[in-house]
Amino acid sequence: MSMQPAGVFAQSYVRDMAIFRTWKQGAALGFFVLALLLVPTILGPRYVAIANIMLITSVVVLGLQITTGLAGQVNLGQAAFMGMGAYTAAALSSGQQWPFLVTVPLAGLVAALFGAIFGLAAVRIRGFYLALTTIAAQFIFVFAILNLPASWTGAAQGLRVETASVFGFVFNTDNRMYFLILAITAIMTVGAYGIARSRHGRAFVAVRDDDLAAGFTGVNVVRAKATAFFVGAFYAGVGGALWAYYIRFVAVDQFSLFNSVYYMGMVIVGGLGSMAGAFVGVFLIRAAQEILTSVGPSVADIFPALGSSVVFASVNIILGAAIALMLILEPRGVMHRFNILKRAFRLWPYPH
Amino acid sequence: MQPATASQPTVADRVPSPALSAEGLSLSFGGVKALQDVAMELRKSELLAVIGPNGAGKTSLLNCLTGFYRPQQGRVVLDGDKVISGLPTHKIARLGVSRTFQGTHLFTGMTVLDNIMIGRYSHMRTNLAQAFLYVPWTRREEVQHREFVEDIIDFLEITTVRKRVVGELGYGLRKRVDLARALAMEPSVLLMDEPMAGMNLEEKEDLARFILDVREARGIPIVIVEHDMAVVMDIADRIVVLDFGRKISEGTPAEVSGDPVVIKAYLGEAH
Repeated sequence: MSMQPAGVFAQSYVRDMAIFRTWKQGAALGFFVLALLLVPTILGPRYVAIANIMLITSVVVLGLQITTGLAGQVNLGQAAFMGMGAYTAAALSSGQQWPFLVTVPLAGLVAALFGAIFGLAAVRIRGFYLALTTIAAQFIFVFAILNLPASWTGAAQGLRVETASVFGFVFNTDNRMYFLILAITAIMTVGAYGIARSRHGRAFVAVRDDDLAAGFTGVNVVRAKATAFFVGAFYAGVGGALWAYYIRFVAVDQFSLFNSVYYMGMVIVGGLGSMAGAFVGVFLIRAAQEILTSVGPSVADIFPALGSSVVFASVNIILGAAIALMLILEPRGVMHRFNILKRAFRLWPYPH
Repeated sequence: MQPATASQPTVADRVPSPALSAEGLSLSFGGVKALQDVAMELRKSELLAVIGPNGAGKTSLLNCLTGFYRPQQGRVVLDGDKVISGLPTHKIARLGVSRTFQGTHLFTGMTVLDNIMIGRYSHMRTNLAQAFLYVPWTRREEVQHREFVEDIIDFLEITTVRKRVVGELGYGLRKRVDLARALAMEPSVLLMDEPMAGMNLEEKEDLARFILDVREARGIPIVIVEHDMAVVMDIADRIVVLDFGRKISEGTPAEVSGDPVVIKAYLGEAH
């Protein structure tokens, strides 16, 4: 379905493989990055807080996009993998006083190793059964945190986290954290695109589309599945570490099955297999959540009979219904719709 | 000028060991004996056809050669010294045995180009960290293998569809992509499972030409499992005939088509 703008002819394979093939595409990215950099100056603190959460969620959902979107392995344990990373970062930063630049990759690695275990499970089972097995990750996570020594994990009390600092610069405000999170998100995004268009990304999609043929083509299917979980959980772990440094407190209930389901919803709404779709999905669902939670209380004021608990419940009902509708109307996600539109514009005024 | 006998070595001299050989293969599913003590040998740069009536064990034989089935007895040897039976499919593929499928088993969500690039997977070395950073070396490697793949795309005349998603392509083109992916692996042996099935005459002729070109230009020995007698008789160097899991005949097309055992297997016994 891919289609290039008319008149653009690559003269070399490097140009042909480039993500940005025209200067206009590059300029569009430039403006987008500029807009992101200006968010704290233009928008108020409330929006910066929302943007922070959105960016952190994007990292986690990018990971899920790799595991589920590219490699086709259903994963309902992404929040648990995120929690693993968050707790690793929290324990190492407040317990051991390890610096931010060390704890974040370590948090990713710990989560990745935890995730790879479930990747090995994916070798034998798939689809619905794999979904159930990854749900087990959620319970193992809670069980582990509550039963490991409280001096490591804080058990039911949770853990406080030190402020992030890089080379002596302390990220102690929301605005400062915004730039730190943005930088890490940018690195993780570039990495996701790199993996997706490398031999590993192709192997993931091969395993998703036809694991039998993938084996005959020299792809070690067992390893590819475990790697997909490893990478996806690495992203969750890094996202978790950012979460820990941003919220500066971690507790088990921040990483529930509920969150995992929402991450899955974001991937589906954005479009399975599309890295840009991960961001679109996160933005749409998070924005809807924010709007519903801010509108909700005023609705409760107008109709006191509903009560505040009804408002909370209705947020989930409305969002759940939106995701279900999305699955019925456009199961391939917003990005797919966008690509069809883009193609139509490039072809206009010809029908095909 | 030297006499022809001196400059032209005999077949036996040119072929020190077979490209692929199977010895005493037996495979059964419960009570069904799919293969019984089958031996076959694929010589260097030879086009060998495996034929037989329905249920004769042709596809079972192919699946044993590629490691998809594990024969209960016997072994498969590559290049005269590498025993490959018992290895997982991806290891056998990496040793140089590649195959195409009856119907197609392509990666329908990927472009033609990416499908064929998958064939280069085990020839590429970029690890996860290098892919994450997309280091210059990774880019160079991609370009280098892209050039290799483009050669195959040219060869199979699928240049115009290289950026199309395979799911949108017609059957004839898909078969070519399937062949391209197998060739991208730089196989030392190519196995084709009923490549002509479901094609019209023109598509069959095209594919037959490509198969012969592969053998001529690239010197890859080919095993072809096929129902279409006309095609087999035209292009095969030698033919192995299976019936009820046993090898009943072997030889050149002329020898095999005159063999009374083969005629009996196909037409039944005259009463």
